Amino acid sequence: MSPTSTSCREIQPDLVATATGDGGPREHARVDRHVAACAPCRRELDRYRSIDRVVGEIRRAPIRADRADVVRGDLEWRLAELRRRAVTARVWSSPLGPILIARSEQGVVAVEYLDSARGADASRLLRRHGIEILEDGTETETFYQQLLEYLAGERTRLAWPLDFRLAGSDFSREVLAATAALPYGAVVSYAHLAREIGRPTATRAVAQALRHNPLPIVVPCHRVIGSSGALTGYAGDKLALKERLLTLEGVPVAHAGRAGHIDRRVMYTRADHYTEYCLPTCGALPTLPLWRFTLFGSRARAEAAGFTPCADCRPDLNPISA
Amino acid sequence: MGREPFEAVMAAHHAEIYRYLRRITFRSAEAEDLSQETFLRAFRAYRALPPDANVRAWLFTIATNLFRNTLRAAKRRQAAHEQVKRKGREDDGEGPERAALFNEARIAVEAVIEALPPRQRAAFVMRKVHELPYEEIGESLGCSVETARAHVFQAFRKIRGSLDDAQLPPPEKTA
Repeated sequence: MSPTSTSCREIQPDLVATATGDGGPREHARVDRHVAACAPCRRELDRYRSIDRVVGEIRRAPIRADRADVVRGDLEWRLAELRRRAVTARVWSSPLGPILIARSEQGVVAVEYLDSARGADASRLLRRHGIEILEDGTETETFYQQLLEYLAGERTRLAWPLDFRLAGSDFSREVLAATAALPYGAVVSYAHLAREIGRPTATRAVAQALRHNPLPIVVPCHRVIGSSGALTGYAGDKLALKERLLTLEGVPVAHAGRAGHIDRRVMYTRADHYTEYCLPTCGALPTLPLWRFTLFGSRARAEAAGFTPCADCRPDLNPISA
Repeated sequence: MGREPFEAVMAAHHAEIYRYLRRITFRSAEAEDLSQETFLRAFRAYRALPPDANVRAWLFTIATNLFRNTLRAAKRRQAAHEQVKRKGREDDGEGPERAALFNEARIAVEAVIEALPPRQRAAFVMRKVHELPYEEIGESLGCSVETARAHVFQAFRKIRGSLDDAQLPPPEKTA
């Protein structure tokens, strides 16, 4: 065969590969053929072998291990910190739009309505609190499925473990806990809730705490309304969602004026400290302020919450006509 | 779920990734920062990693990307960097120790490696120091196997071009 079958230029990659251990049998054969007839390339092959030996020394040279251990120790500490602070979260699609569910080791930390279905790092709520987000749905998928059932009206309770770490204060935490106990299909006023937690003058603070509710739906702040019956506000500018959630629970929302409101004259009424529920016209009820009551959209909801029909007005015999 | 805990990943790969970064950055402080960042990022993304993924190659990818990012950010420090290189290796804080360990050829080769374009350098170190297969190198650099091979070839050519015969140890006789 001819020594010029492969030119010096063409043989270079094979030559380097052969000298440095990257070549296969075919490259070796080509190089052998070439260098047998080409002294300069033979010397070049030797040079690359020398270089490869020097590189081999670099490979075997120890990197100072003490530093590696220190670095590793720091890293472990930072990871532990991260684990403590971090939550896993995923944005799911729902009938109410994209919704983020985040959980910590303790429980669900945040439910957040998002404007677009981007990743969990679009969460303004978590970012504002400096929470580290680990994008993962495996730990919140069950919650998501239950949420879908809830929004489809197939489930009335979300018995989730809750982590109130995003509540701004102990006061907020108390408000959230009291709100979480509100029964399905019921509404109360902010003033009612303030009294419930033993702070009768803190109505505005209660409203404020719920405005920043990090766990909407599962902490059902949509069941809390103004003393006039007005829906007031929800999740910033999402009043329509509040109405939707209430309607889902069988609470009628009236539109006599501009904004939606709850008309207490069509609601089954349970006065504080009573185990019975009444027609809204029973006895002195129409003259009492709203904060004295829990209002129900239907008898079924009142009874599911553990109340019995009033023996005087007999809502069971004279139901409110639609 | 058959995935090993992240701690096991760290135990298995931290030393090697640190070593890799130490090699391609040539500065211990930078290698420390980058190795920390590599594993913090890996921890965040670990849950989303497919169970059959090659964790080692994946870690090399993260480390390489971080390294390339810092290079972009450090472009403006290039001039200072060049100066340090000309002065030799003393300024990296381990100079005397290394000078004692490394012979002339090694110092010369390391200087060339340090001056290689980042992708060539990363490919070269992954292949020749960590002995990663070319498939994984290509994955780490986001290029084809052929390109990864070409990077290593070019690196050798540059090393060869920068050394004269007097600097090279005599060739070993091969069978």
